[in-house]
Amino acid sequence: MARALARQGAARRTGPGPLLVSGLALAIVVVAAISVGSVRVLPGAVLGALLDGVRGHHSGTVDTIVWQLRLPRVLLASLVGASLALAGATFQGVFRNPLADPYLLGAASGAGFGASVVLVFAGAVPWLAHVGVGWAAFACALATVAVVALLARQGRGLPAVSLILAGVVLGSSLSAATSFLMLAARDRAAGILSWLLGSFAFASWDRVAAMLPLLVPAVLVLLLAGRALDVMQLGDESAAQLGVPVEAVKLILLATATLATAAAVSVAGVIGFVGLVVPHAVRLAFGPRHVRLIPLSAVWGAIFLVLADLCARTVLAPAEIPVGIVTALVGGPFFLLLLRRQRSGS
Amino acid sequence: MIKRAMVLVVLLLAFQAALATNYPLTVRDQLGHELTLPRAPTHIVSMIPSDTETVCALGACDALVGVDAFSDWPKQVASLPHLGNANAPDIERLVALKPDLVLTDEYSGLAARLEQLGIPVYAGTPQTYQGALDFLGVMGRLLDRQTAAALVRGRIEGQVAAVAAKVAKLPRVSVFVELDATPYSVGPGSYLGTLLEKAGGRTIVTRAMGEYPQVDPEYVVQQDPQVVLLMDAPYGQTVAKAEARPGWSGLRAVRDGRVLPLDQQQVDILSRAGPRMGDAVVLLAKLLHPGHF
Repeated sequence: MARALARQGAARRTGPGPLLVSGLALAIVVVAAISVGSVRVLPGAVLGALLDGVRGHHSGTVDTIVWQLRLPRVLLASLVGASLALAGATFQGVFRNPLADPYLLGAASGAGFGASVVLVFAGAVPWLAHVGVGWAAFACALATVAVVALLARQGRGLPAVSLILAGVVLGSSLSAATSFLMLAARDRAAGILSWLLGSFAFASWDRVAAMLPLLVPAVLVLLLAGRALDVMQLGDESAAQLGVPVEAVKLILLATATLATAAAVSVAGVIGFVGLVVPHAVRLAFGPRHVRLIPLSAVWGAIFLVLADLCARTVLAPAEIPVGIVTALVGGPFFLLLLRRQRSGS
Repeated sequence: MIKRAMVLVVLLLAFQAALATNYPLTVRDQLGHELTLPRAPTHIVSMIPSDTETVCALGACDALVGVDAFSDWPKQVASLPHLGNANAPDIERLVALKPDLVLTDEYSGLAARLEQLGIPVYAGTPQTYQGALDFLGVMGRLLDRQTAAALVRGRIEGQVAAVAAKVAKLPRVSVFVELDATPYSVGPGSYLGTLLEKAGGRTIVTRAMGEYPQVDPEYVVQQDPQVVLLMDAPYGQTVAKAEARPGWSGLRAVRDGRVLPLDQQQVDILSRAGPRMGDAVVLLAKLLHPGHF
């Protein structure tokens, strides 16, 4: 079986090529996203402001736009995109199910519920205002997935079917509670809805800084997990025979991916389809081996979300489209296309 | 004659001076954050339609440099740059306008983001009749338009008092306000509930049901309102569709032809707690007591 894996790897191009190409693509997309916005700033002026900023000179409107608005926004979009895609690839690998995603286990609906509670009651309950929307969303996302895992636990194992069932059911209940909050507090409904649909309009360096300490360790853990995931594709028993502590690895990977997703959702709202579509596209383009799939998913998740956010803030400028709507409108049909191609290919 | 005119001018100047704002001015907004204005703002961005109306009613429309997408009154603000809305703002364009005062809501998070960027921002927009009257005073101070604020407030209170004097002798009219067809309505504690009260009406919703409750259709039939106000008429609701609902044919409002569709302009006047509140009460009084106004 190890030989079968090796053959699979050899069929695709090996080496650092794809990662380099993808990294270059990300760099180009980031530069483009920083250069374009609702205020027209010439590329030379953007470059000037960037260089001035690097030298420590910050002044003027262009500087504010480039350094305080576009740069944190693009960075945050790429961090969130990378986290969501990484988490999606991990979940799909762990469950050996192409539809798995942290959202499926209630991370999204939990975060949405936490955010809505703060948005509705922060005026009446001062301590909720201190907690803030982001932390509430983060905590509720983690709590929801933890409860789902507890509900689904059988002995020492976590069967995929029970996990996903518990996730879907608890998620639906929390979504209903969120909808009720929106209807009960009509004047906050617009705010809750924009949060639920996801947006980088309020991106700031603070949010980038809040993401990093969670994201960096999570990315490191998930990047190291590629080889174990590859072995686990042979089935739990074979993996155990090959010396992988299957249940422990599963638990660590699911927890880490959930953490990354919760962090992403807490700074940007519920952005769908990134975790689902990106790993599929990467698998199709670069092959199914997780050693490569995991890092490439991160890079292409970042590219996808930076581009989606660029559409969100320019297509109808000065009005912004919630970025979650862009990812769903683009990601949905794209996913269906992948599905058809995969079927005709097999 | 000339002497008297001069006395008047001196008095007027003294009056103005007494009501002039001393800058730098520090105020707390409704989030409790401090805002300091070094001088009267000349580049104002308003992200709330009722705030836009207030700024213009105080005579500072020329100082507006940008508004949210829903601000459409007075007409001259239509030509200003639109900056999305408070929940999905175009912060980049807002920053490029270099405002020296931004007016926004307290919930969206826009205020916090603008504060980070060093842009003076006042967060908080009135939700009640009394809140809107007080807000006029706050804006008067911020914009150094305290005389205008007092005049606008006086006009609103005059309109409301005139309506109150007339409706005091008339029986109260029971009203079902339909915000949408599900149906959502307004309670007595809500902003529109207060206006109805001042216009000699009474919402069929009780205080216990809340400010914006979803109402059981049976309850509407059982309460048998004298007037139905279709606030959802600009969004496709029609009198014919409403009257065709089960049990509605026997309602007093239907029999008397008093299921009233409102147009967008009327809905805006009734839903924005701003300088047109007096007009809103007069409008409601005309709808509820035709022939008396």
